[in-house]
Amino acid sequence: MERMTAFVLTLLGAALAVGLELLEAMAIVLAVGSTRRPRDAVIGAAGAVALLAVAVVVVGPLVLARLPLEPLQVVIGTALLLFGLEWLRKGVLRLAGARAPSSSLQEYLDEREAMEALPPPEPGRPDWPARIVAGKGVLLEGLEVVLIVAALGAGPEGLAPAVTGAAVAVVLVVALGAALHRPLARLPESHLKYAVGVVLSSFGVFFLGEGLGVDWPGGDAALLYLAATFVAAAQLQVVAVAARHAEAPA
Amino acid sequence: MRALRKLVLGETWTLPLGVLITLAIALATDAVAGDSAWWHRGGGFLLLALVLVAFAASLAPAWRRR
Repeated sequence: MERMTAFVLTLLGAALAVGLELLEAMAIVLAVGSTRRPRDAVIGAAGAVALLAVAVVVVGPLVLARLPLEPLQVVIGTALLLFGLEWLRKGVLRLAGARAPSSSLQEYLDEREAMEALPPPEPGRPDWPARIVAGKGVLLEGLEVVLIVAALGAGPEGLAPAVTGAAVAVVLVVALGAALHRPLARLPESHLKYAVGVVLSSFGVFFLGEGLGVDWPGGDAALLYLAATFVAAAQLQVVAVAARHAEAPA
Repeated sequence: MRALRKLVLGETWTLPLGVLITLAIALATDAVAGDSAWWHRGGGFLLLALVLVAFAASLAPAWRRR
């Protein structure tokens, strides 16, 4: 039961985090490809993927594999807390109406507008603005994917659930990309990002504790009450921020 | 560089600072009370409380009436 909890939460956390990050990267690449030349958007994205492959090798076998378990858990726990609490903070602001909802469709439209403002590419010459914008989008979103999957993969269940979750996310995002627009508009991205914040923060506190020699009552099942505590704390914040936001003069 | 800083540290300094302070307190407590039974049994809840305080502090600007 304990191991199943950790496995399922790792898989879910990885799938949601990777899916949402890929969705944002895809929105940028599609916006660049549809306003400029698709070939340049793909070249930019492919360049970023090559750099990410290097990052995977550096983060995985060269850094994480060489650290002893307990310091590794402290590093991973801290990294997950930095990512998770930031996702959760933004989630609270979005659900309280103090920040615009997360929308990859809106990101796609904004990026299209920005690209349309640039002078058109010259025929027969490389379109560097398109390559750089597409590459930067994929690189920044992908770097977060690499760090989150590596961090979750360092957990009690190893890489299997994190990589499976990431693979499920890739398949789903590619399927969404094929059927674009309406699925993107319907996706409750703000809620999903809030959920990722809860999962990553729970794993962050859990790993940090394990790395410092703390025994969590219930073992891996502690992830459940940690997640419940984060949901309760975040919901209280949503209510408080929403009340303030409603009081504020328009 | 700005995008990379935003990726690693997020949009506010309060949160990374809060996580750093949590880590410093946890490491100091572990150094002082690492062998104590209370730390093994209850240290996790101390960590959780510190993280929740850091999280609440990061949202403090949103509580202020605009």
